Amino acid sequence: MSEARSVGPILTVENLEIAFPGRRRGQVIQAVDNVSFTVRQGETFGIIGESGSGKTTVGRALVCLIRPTAGRIRHFGEDPFALPAKALRRHRRGYQIIFQDPNAALDPRMTILQSVREPLDVAGAGTRRERQRKALEALDHVALGPEMAARYPHEISGGQKQRANIARALVLEPRLVVCDEVVAALDVSIQAEMLNLFADLQRDFHLTYVFITHDLRVVAHISDRVAVMYFGKIVELGPATGLMNAPLHPYTKALLSAEPEPVPAHMRNRGRIVLQGEVPSPLDPPTGCRFHTRCPLAQPLCAQRDPEWRELAPGRLVACHFAKTPN
Amino acid sequence: MRQTGAAGKTSRMSVAAAEPSDSKHATTGALLDVRDLCVSFRDDAGWVPMLNNVAFQVNRGETVGIVGESGCGKSLTALSIMGLLPRRGCLRTGGIVFDGCDIAGLGERGMRQVRGRQIGMVFQEPMSALDPVFTVGDQIAETVRTHFQVSPREAKERAVEALASVRIPAPAACATLYPMNLSGGMRQRVMIAMALVCEPKLLIADEPTTALDVTIQAQIMELLLELGRRTGTALLFITHNLALIAESCERTLTMYAGEVVEDGSVEAMLNRPLHPYTAGLLASLPGRRAPKSRLSSIPGRVPSPRDMPAGCRFGPRCTFATAICQEPQRLRAVDNRRVRCARAVELVLAGAGG
Repeated sequence: MSEARSVGPILTVENLEIAFPGRRRGQVIQAVDNVSFTVRQGETFGIIGESGSGKTTVGRALVCLIRPTAGRIRHFGEDPFALPAKALRRHRRGYQIIFQDPNAALDPRMTILQSVREPLDVAGAGTRRERQRKALEALDHVALGPEMAARYPHEISGGQKQRANIARALVLEPRLVVCDEVVAALDVSIQAEMLNLFADLQRDFHLTYVFITHDLRVVAHISDRVAVMYFGKIVELGPATGLMNAPLHPYTKALLSAEPEPVPAHMRNRGRIVLQGEVPSPLDPPTGCRFHTRCPLAQPLCAQRDPEWRELAPGRLVACHFAKTPN
Repeated sequence: MRQTGAAGKTSRMSVAAAEPSDSKHATTGALLDVRDLCVSFRDDAGWVPMLNNVAFQVNRGETVGIVGESGCGKSLTALSIMGLLPRRGCLRTGGIVFDGCDIAGLGERGMRQVRGRQIGMVFQEPMSALDPVFTVGDQIAETVRTHFQVSPREAKERAVEALASVRIPAPAACATLYPMNLSGGMRQRVMIAMALVCEPKLLIADEPTTALDVTIQAQIMELLLELGRRTGTALLFITHNLALIAESCERTLTMYAGEVVEDGSVEAMLNRPLHPYTAGLLASLPGRRAPKSRLSSIPGRVPSPRDMPAGCRFGPRCTFATAICQEPQRLRAVDNRRVRCARAVELVLAGAGG
């Protein structure tokens, strides 16, 4: 994670904006609003937020599945959307995404091996036999043996399906993998196994992860740095341990305190902040700070002015008028 | 294991075989008493046992959590209590005594008096539990009119009151909306309003917050617990989230492969789980304490009901299994707890937060 790498960050996002047309004419839904961050090679960058916060939209844009309305995404300094279509197709092989629902991502009429080999077939890499061998290797990396390769998705468990999806993303030897809620649908014991697997693969293949999740425990466990999204914006960004132990933004504080802890009562952190209300409608976004309608510390200023990004400590950024420098 | 006061107390354990269930239950005034519940489903090959001698009690006003991986029989237990099992191809034996009355023997007609009125239920997916073509106000009013002799107008008023009680802003306006107009959190509030409008004595909540965001989950849990306290409603709370149980319940049942494997107070379970399965669930939770560390997981998977191990059902996945585990395990009483593990007393399993 040293900053002195000559190659620079693997991923740079500058003032990213993504808007979707609403149901009525002229209506615009701003899903991602002025988001900037960088991801360093080899790190795990966590993005956490509730549903509707825009985290999935950001993830899809990172792997060129959605074209930004404004702003830039650069892979090693290069803007993939500026590439001609054919070059973009080749380029994006290095930037893969794994989705939440392991069932929806696999074709029920293909065997696991066929599904894993498909990206190679599309890429047209090597002979058929080589592609077959590569696919089997990828399955081996995720601990699925050859006996699993011949099966169909309905014949294997949810955890095994998610392993197949990982193999499918890995088979093109990507540099960066966006993991969108990849463990959300799994039982805790399987989830633990998967998180261990992600750590192993990162070490073995020098992968960079963008880990998108709503689960604080997962993000705290796996990430080096974390961005907290609320209503299309990043409200706080910083190293995982610092952010988890001493959150700066009131929303991060509320998120952390809302997470139940599996410890005996005497060890529990008292003073839970239960946020009132829900995430506002994207058709009618609040003025000023997007969080002011639910913020326990909101002042009149918050409804008027959008807070600026401030770096309160090295690497720790926050967008809140009243956030204080950590001790 | 940590040596705390609580741990010191629990280490001196007395062991006794659990009394046969009938003699014990007659004297206790439990609200819900599930006795040796067995459920089997029929498939092409014959009857497949899904639940095996599930027995537990819920006291009045008590909050009990049921935890376990998917496929362990948590939801099936809830559906059995509610009498919501499919009529064909399904066999249920054992007793379900609710408030002194054996509801397992009731027919569909009798169950209708109990369901909704005496025992309410909240499901995981509010969208599939609500009817999309009626307003939520109408749906709650219908519940009221089914169980009480009231005029349509009064039913409607009670529906609005119920919506207000779950802290929905502008309840009268909300009553005129259709489920599709509401967010997931709001729909779950409507479900809770509907379940509590008849003031049932027991509320079964099956993964009520699993589909919700963590800040909304906190709101819903606070609401459920507060309403339970206020109306004296007992809560049977089904979840795969041990952390949620730790914060909200007084007692937990751990279920594994269609059996209750551990039953006791939440505090005792967190300090020292008795069953290796409960301990395994606790240990596999990622936490803030040791980021990037290797997580411990439970190897293997829940066995298929068609292919149950002969001895301890958890045996093949258990790191502590010995020869004694080749035999089927009884649910034994240990202090004020119950556990289905022959080695429960000699093993000192790590609890949470150690």
